[in-house]
Amino acid sequence: MQRGSTLILLRFQSDLRYRNLVLRATQAAAKLVGQGDHPVFDDEVVAACSEAFNNIAVHAYPETPGEVEIQIEVHEDAVTIRMLDHGRSYELEEQPDPDLESLPESGLGIFIIKSFMDQVVYRPGAPNLLEMTKRIVSRPEQAATV
Amino acid sequence: MKYTLIDGENGVTVRIEGQLDAISTADIRPLFDQITERRPRLVTLDLSALRLIDSSGVGAIVSLFKRVRADNGDFQVRGASGQPLAIFKLLRLDRVFSL
Repeated sequence: MQRGSTLILLRFQSDLRYRNLVLRATQAAAKLVGQGDHPVFDDEVVAACSEAFNNIAVHAYPETPGEVEIQIEVHEDAVTIRMLDHGRSYELEEQPDPDLESLPESGLGIFIIKSFMDQVVYRPGAPNLLEMTKRIVSRPEQAATV
Repeated sequence: MKYTLIDGENGVTVRIEGQLDAISTADIRPLFDQITERRPRLVTLDLSALRLIDSSGVGAIVSLFKRVRADNGDFQVRGASGQPLAIFKLLRLDRVFSL
């Protein structure tokens, strides 16, 4: 955790019932970044977090819920969200971007995360770690690394 | 999530309020199935009270759109704003739905 930042820690089971709790905490944290109102920034952070949590609840623990830890770190000009789980892992680089022209009905979650967040890092392991950062002034390029 | 179905002379309007997400999408899909079985001339989604949508919700709406269009019906989306509009723009659905 960086000096001068605020850390919000949530730990619970990967049940979709906790979705609203996660998103409300994320939205509140996003509002603390920077100065003044920034609804687009807030909406995009919430959207990315929503997809990331769904992925854990649905894909990391497909049969029974497992433990999830969410760390929301609020900096002066950015927010970093880390999601840790002990479920099934995946390869971020192997997730293809959807063909939007074909109007896909699924497989959009990772694309939304990578599009809305400035930096996305996924490290499979024990635990799996997804770390996403968004700055108030977004950089045009985004990095996704494993 | 709450929804309201309104039958009109020209077609069907579905007003969706709250969040259309991984949980609530399962509740609205049966309604969408019922609508497509009727093959309406026009389906309108009123999203003016929709606060949050995720990829599951988008998938349900896109599925409905495809089925309505496959039956030569017209499809409209109106009132999208905030986070739902940001998602539609990212996925280029603002062009498809003329938002």
